[in-house]
Amino acid sequence: MIQWLANNLSTIIVGTILLLIMAAIIVTTIKNKKKGNSFCRCNCSGCSMSSHCQSRADKPCD
Amino acid sequence: MGIRIALAGNPNCGKTMLFNALTGSNQYVGNWAGVTVEAKEGKMKGERDVVIADLPGIYSLSPYTPEEVVARNYLINEKPDVILNIIDGTNLERNLYLTTQLCEIGTPVVMAINMIDIVEKNGDKLNLEEISEHFGCVCFEVSALKGTGIKKCANKAVEIARKNTGIPPVHHCFDDKIEAAIHLISTMLPDSIETKNKRFYATKVFERDELIGIKIPEAEELICHIENDEYNDDSESIIADQRYRYITSCIDECRVKSTKTPITRKIDNILTNRFLALPIFALIMFAVYYLSVSSIGLMLSDFVNETIFGDNGVPMLVSDFLTSINCAPWLTSLIVDGILAGVGAVLGFVPQIIILFIFLSFLEDCGYMSRIAFILDKMFHRFGLSGKSFIPMLVGTGCGVPGVMASRTIENESDRRMTVITTTFIPCSAKLPVIAAISAAFFGDAWWLAPSAYFIGIAAIICSGIILKKTRPFQSEDTPFVMELPSYHLPSVKSIAKATGDRVWSYIKKAGTIILLASCLVWFLAGYGFVDGRFTAVEMDQSILAFLGHLINGLFAPLGFGTWQATVASLLGLVAKEEIVGVFGVLYSDLSTALTPLAAYSFLVFNLLCVPCMAAVGAIKREMNNTKWTLFAVGYQCLFAYFVSFCIYQFGLLFTTGAVGIATVIAFIALAVFLFLLLRKPKYNIPKSAVNTEVVK
Repeated sequence: MIQWLANNLSTIIVGTILLLIMAAIIVTTIKNKKKGNSFCRCNCSGCSMSSHCQSRADKPCD
Repeated sequence: MGIRIALAGNPNCGKTMLFNALTGSNQYVGNWAGVTVEAKEGKMKGERDVVIADLPGIYSLSPYTPEEVVARNYLINEKPDVILNIIDGTNLERNLYLTTQLCEIGTPVVMAINMIDIVEKNGDKLNLEEISEHFGCVCFEVSALKGTGIKKCANKAVEIARKNTGIPPVHHCFDDKIEAAIHLISTMLPDSIETKNKRFYATKVFERDELIGIKIPEAEELICHIENDEYNDDSESIIADQRYRYITSCIDECRVKSTKTPITRKIDNILTNRFLALPIFALIMFAVYYLSVSSIGLMLSDFVNETIFGDNGVPMLVSDFLTSINCAPWLTSLIVDGILAGVGAVLGFVPQIIILFIFLSFLEDCGYMSRIAFILDKMFHRFGLSGKSFIPMLVGTGCGVPGVMASRTIENESDRRMTVITTTFIPCSAKLPVIAAISAAFFGDAWWLAPSAYFIGIAAIICSGIILKKTRPFQSEDTPFVMELPSYHLPSVKSIAKATGDRVWSYIKKAGTIILLASCLVWFLAGYGFVDGRFTAVEMDQSILAFLGHLINGLFAPLGFGTWQATVASLLGLVAKEEIVGVFGVLYSDLSTALTPLAAYSFLVFNLLCVPCMAAVGAIKREMNNTKWTLFAVGYQCLFAYFVSFCIYQFGLLFTTGAVGIATVIAFIALAVFLFLLLRKPKYNIPKSAVNTEVVK
């Protein structure tokens, strides 16, 4: 087992980092969707309609 | 207790720019009327107890649109301590109309005459002391664009609020008969109305403003008497006329107007000329797309692609590194052939996106884009849309979602629905990489390809307008379009950099999130499949992705791109249109061999006109607020895109090879039906209003 871990250590580390990145993207996307932040994945501060989003209607603009 | 200052003024007079300067916020600033649609609050820099509210632009306190109601309700119900009235110095007459009303509310007013740099450039001179005397409030010269006078003006507003000097006197008066009537009505008002607000409410009752929510039947006889026996006009017009008379007399005393023609008028004589306007617009948009996609943008993109995302760039470095640390081949392949290929294919177009948005931001900021709405209004009116529909399309060049949402400013329900359906025909920033990729791979970066995508979008909107307007659900009264045209000015580098930076950052963020995930998925589905009931790594043609693509690729065969790869790319384009390029990046090492040029153009047109990404479909659903209408919008977009691509491919084949088949016959029939729908006489009488009004500064 330890030998297998040692042989595949780089794969495990790189794979874990990649998984964490992907998980972070998914979690952030879901969180943003729930909060109503940038559901279109556009940048709210550069959007003329950011305050017009229904999901953001009861929130102050960031 | 904190102080609240409300920024009030006409649309596009510079409130948001001033708000950003005073609060350090980053709210979107656009050079057209109606950018701000709800009140936004922010704390003033250096004065933590001072809150500044940026209100939507209003022309008067008799609101007609939802945004105007928001602004008036804030000013009257929220009772700010001071109103900072922003006045466009290049158009004093109309801006001061609101000032005369603000002075009646019972809240202290500080006047900030904005765009003073343009006033000076025009050679006009203003006497601030005289203006202050006439309107009974302090007056400052500011330039929000250059940042001059802003702090001084805001500090004065804070000082007045802290002093709490009581009810400011109203300096302007109406005729004696009107004043007497207003005084009498004010005595009839309910006791719940504060004394300081009574003049405002009495004037509104006199004007029969229903939105104010007060009706005094006893006053009706008096109002009718004044209307019929004294002035022979309706009460609202009488008040408006008296206000303008007062303003005109004040301005005659306060302003020395230059005799030379303002530069804006000189430019407009050419750019909005009835014969030259459309060719100039076409030429400008052609140049914008040509320069950003085919020439300067292409040079920069090629450089980025070769040095960063090319075979000898980042992918090779990463591949070498992963191999050197003995990383598993499948993981190396996922990172290099999946993530880097997909995300890199999308990021490679960043230079073109930057150039495009620098041009579009410049056109928007300098005031030309507002003119396009006016220029297109005449044409759009003929085809069933109004110039107001252009504003959503203008917003939609950045992203379809806010574009669809911008249709809310259209009051007419059927026009609004039609605009929602057609707005996404204009290529958004996500579609630009698709245009650029097809142009580079199949057409040797032909000069006409990128501009043609924009003009196909405009043509699709016009044709849809004509066809839909002739149907019963879209039949409606032809509404007039009134729009304020801002003065031309040279935009600041900062504002262009901000607008471009915001849009480019959202593009990069998308590449680093949704495109990254989608690229991983595509790599996985394209590399694995079932062989003899066993799930294993397979050749691409036997993968799950190929299997899924083969299920429906027959549908696209008449359009010329019936390969499973193109089918999958089109479907994944629903996640985000950039993903089409991402899929090509993962599936093809050389895209130019994937399709014939004709099929590639058909593929491009289909993906430009077809249903937009899911986020935009969500926005369509919310704006339609009706499942049937949403399904109609999506169905119409798909059908229209299919028809156009089908005709392009079939007629293209006919002209290039001379081949005639069943599909060619069907294409002729489809074209005949389309022409019939386009040219038939409308069944229903559409009331015409030939009004096409502009307000030129």
